[in-house]
Amino acid sequence: MTGRIQSRLLSLAAFFLTLYAVILTLAPAVRERSWDVPLRWSHWIGLVLWVGAFALIHRQTMRYLPEHDPYLVPLAALLTGWGLLTVWRLTPAFGLRQTLWLAVGAAIFVVGLRLPADLGFLRRYKYLLLSVGLFLTALTLVFGRNPAGGGPRLWLGCCGVYFQPSEPLKLLLLAYLAAYLADQLPIRLRLFPLLFPTLLLTGLALALLLVQRDLGTASIFILLYAIMLYLSSGRRRVLVVSAGVLLAAVLVGYFLVDLVRLRVTTWLNPWLDPSGESYQIVQSLLAIANGGLLGRGPGLGSPTLVPVAHSDFIFAAIAEETGLLGTLALLGLIAFLLSRGMRIALRAPDRFRRLLAAGLTAYLGVQSLLIIGGNLRLLPITGVTLPFLSYGGSSLLTSFLALLFLLLIGGDVEQEPAPLPQPFPYLVLSALLSLGLFTLALADGWWAVVRGPDLLTRTDNPRRAIADRYVPRGALLDRHDTPINVTRGEVGDYTRLYLYPDLAPITGYTHPIYGQAGLEATLDPYLRGLRGNPSTLIWWDHLLYGQPPPGLDVRLSLDLDLQHLADQALTGHAGALILLNAANGEILVMASHPSFDPNALDEEGERLLTDPTSPLLNRAAQGRYPVDAALSPFLLAAADERALPDVPAGLPAPCAVQVARPLTWGSLVAAGCPFALETLGDSLPPETVTTLLERLGFLAAPDLRLPVAPPLVPQDVIGALSDLQVSPLQMALAAASLSAEGVRPAPRLALAVDTPRQGWVILPPLGEPMGVFSASRAGAVVQSMSPMERPFWQSVVVSERDEGPLTWYLAGTLPTWKGTPLALVLVLEEDDTVLAQQIAHTVLQPLLGP
Amino acid sequence: MSATALLILRILLALSLYMLLGWALWLLWRDIRQQGALLAGRKAPSITLTVQRPGAPPQSFRFEQVEITLGRDPNCEVPLDDGTVSARHARLAYHHGQWWLEDLGSTNGTLLNGELLTTPTVVISGDEIRCGQTTLTLALTAHTLIADTLRIQSGE
Repeated sequence: MTGRIQSRLLSLAAFFLTLYAVILTLAPAVRERSWDVPLRWSHWIGLVLWVGAFALIHRQTMRYLPEHDPYLVPLAALLTGWGLLTVWRLTPAFGLRQTLWLAVGAAIFVVGLRLPADLGFLRRYKYLLLSVGLFLTALTLVFGRNPAGGGPRLWLGCCGVYFQPSEPLKLLLLAYLAAYLADQLPIRLRLFPLLFPTLLLTGLALALLLVQRDLGTASIFILLYAIMLYLSSGRRRVLVVSAGVLLAAVLVGYFLVDLVRLRVTTWLNPWLDPSGESYQIVQSLLAIANGGLLGRGPGLGSPTLVPVAHSDFIFAAIAEETGLLGTLALLGLIAFLLSRGMRIALRAPDRFRRLLAAGLTAYLGVQSLLIIGGNLRLLPITGVTLPFLSYGGSSLLTSFLALLFLLLIGGDVEQEPAPLPQPFPYLVLSALLSLGLFTLALADGWWAVVRGPDLLTRTDNPRRAIADRYVPRGALLDRHDTPINVTRGEVGDYTRLYLYPDLAPITGYTHPIYGQAGLEATLDPYLRGLRGNPSTLIWWDHLLYGQPPPGLDVRLSLDLDLQHLADQALTGHAGALILLNAANGEILVMASHPSFDPNALDEEGERLLTDPTSPLLNRAAQGRYPVDAALSPFLLAAADERALPDVPAGLPAPCAVQVARPLTWGSLVAAGCPFALETLGDSLPPETVTTLLERLGFLAAPDLRLPVAPPLVPQDVIGALSDLQVSPLQMALAAASLSAEGVRPAPRLALAVDTPRQGWVILPPLGEPMGVFSASRAGAVVQSMSPMERPFWQSVVVSERDEGPLTWYLAGTLPTWKGTPLALVLVLEEDDTVLAQQIAHTVLQPLLGP
Repeated sequence: MSATALLILRILLALSLYMLLGWALWLLWRDIRQQGALLAGRKAPSITLTVQRPGAPPQSFRFEQVEITLGRDPNCEVPLDDGTVSARHARLAYHHGQWWLEDLGSTNGTLLNGELLTTPTVVISGDEIRCGQTTLTLALTAHTLIADTLRIQSGE
């Protein structure tokens, strides 16, 4: 009966692992979306050895312990195999080492089956064994190594074979405590003198671990000691006191030990520093989120992004590749294993073996809870391994030894179970372990399904950058479909090319390290194919590849020919230029200088971030400049013509440029005379000015699919009109209202997106047009601002500020112009009115004629 | 194409995992059911008690159950109408393949074959139990336990 159950469960486990291995072999074909790739084969070595090892273990257990628990070996086998294949998948070199350790572990297991079932030697030589364990651990103080290079030196060994003595020390401590407590407690002396030797030895072990900074193992020791004491004494006080001790240890550690403080802060607040101290835990949560319900499939996720995924974070790796379904089953398997362990403990023939079996079960349970809880951000990260699953020879051997002792204790069916005067502590322990696993399952579901989709859209999710290499991103095109930013290359090697680098501050970039900026960031959902594609396609591609479908092209309103003129003229100067269709708000030119070359972001990125000239800033939409006298045309248009103050006979102060004669308010405003702003501002009632600013869009950021900066509005905007700071884009929209019959248009930059089903779909403007002036008043004002013989109006303003001089140039078509109404705004971060006019005329020339 | 094939394999993978878990749980359930059936089918050998009270004719009781209480209380399986017997005086219980006699803290104590009972003691056919002034004689029928167990294990 036992044999049949065990062999059948083992076959099912082998079936599962074979499927896993097959998927792992085929995974590269799916990843590269082609059969013409090298497949993975190496992990089959691990599977073959696993089959051999457990076939041998099955036969040997049947021979030496015919009546043993039939569930333990298959459960442990499945966990071991699952962990082994996961390690192979993560790092094949570690997989090979783990396979060798599995062989060693199986050999020790098979030899260990010949041990006497009463485990008398453990009981008799308890002090000797524990001392040897402590001695070996103490040796790491002197001869300690770390196979990974840096970090705590907890290992002994040389020449590629390393062993961590603190792992088997757990078992020795359990055996010692079980033996001591089983021998002493029936005497029922006072508790403290009775416990003195155990306190001394446990304290010694703890001190060693603390000196070595092996805090995870130390906390497990405290927990195991408390559990053993509670099980044998049945006094609830023990639990309360040890919970207090653990809490006090954490508190003291928090204030005295940097490592503890770091672990606790990253646990409480991982989102504060997701790329620094909390990188591991955030990546772990992202991996779990990426797994979702079904998981990405073995070999198809990106669990290697989580640091040390093969040992401490193997649960996150498993969660990413087998999903919530896989990890819930994993928790179920662990729960099953623990329940069999508790059953063996309750049925054990004497006190020593009962305590030992319960202790071993508690060890497997507590360690699993601690590390899975750490992976799920339920607990601080403790840096212990997941029994049976994690990479690590010492951990695997220790798990195998625990399994061996449990089997030996459970296999002794000749004797009746010993009487149990106090069953309650065993019930409490089982309840606590089940409650812990249940909480883990809930947290797992929370991160994988409830919070998962939101987490994955975080810009620091490296899977997005990986997807960009495997899925083509949509192109950005100008209004004549000339490409601006495109994606070229082969699957697995797609790169973004920026064909028109001068536009970089506007169109932005998408980069694995520097993230996204500009239109690449705002239009990302379309370019990445997450919007505009049918939702079934998005769902299907996510299910198959964990990646979005191919991205969609977006057409912009920019005209590259005009843009080129503007960029050429602006080269070498700092400033911004915007030219837009005043009637419908389509932006034809948006230039910001100095610019940068996003193709060279790999080499230049660091320098660009700290460049004092801020080339990354889109000055046209994110730069904020004081309006100063550039506001006066709008004040003039808002004023009632009959209520205007008298034009001064002479100029009380110099203007930005020479004023055209005869002096009118129009010619004064066009020349950017500062006193015109003052006089006009004073002549208007304050509420009129507030309404005007609001309608001009100077008090709120414009609605546009582009990162824009909100204006800088002073507290008392009426009293400090010239301190109002707006972006050139806002100014251009306001100027457009003068050329478009008094209506401020809603700006448009992204015009349409090329969807697979409906072709080009229009992206409507986000804002609404806003009437600012009456058409006749706007027409009259711009007419009065028009220089002789030109079909457009203009206004040149120089602003002298502490931050440096600034030249505004505003222009627009006249109502008499028969073509497309246009508006242009130029900002130069220098005092050069001639240059400003020159640049603007260069851009307007081809549109408006000579 | 490759992705769809692998999707099917991935679903199979999840299914196989739950098949294993489900099968293991089913085995456990079957185990519990068998244990239940085993215990349900386990019968104590029937016991006959002959009650001898001074100044009354002997009275015989035959029981098929596993627990029998003796006492003055009318709810006891063997009610003893005797002033020197406590309300719940002693108990006969069948476990570990034996009938055990246990005193329930009676005022006058229970004597087994003339000796005062201090701990639960195994009794056999012909033993004489004395509660107060009442004497009971035991008679056990043949042991049928092993046959029952065999019948249930063979799955009948």
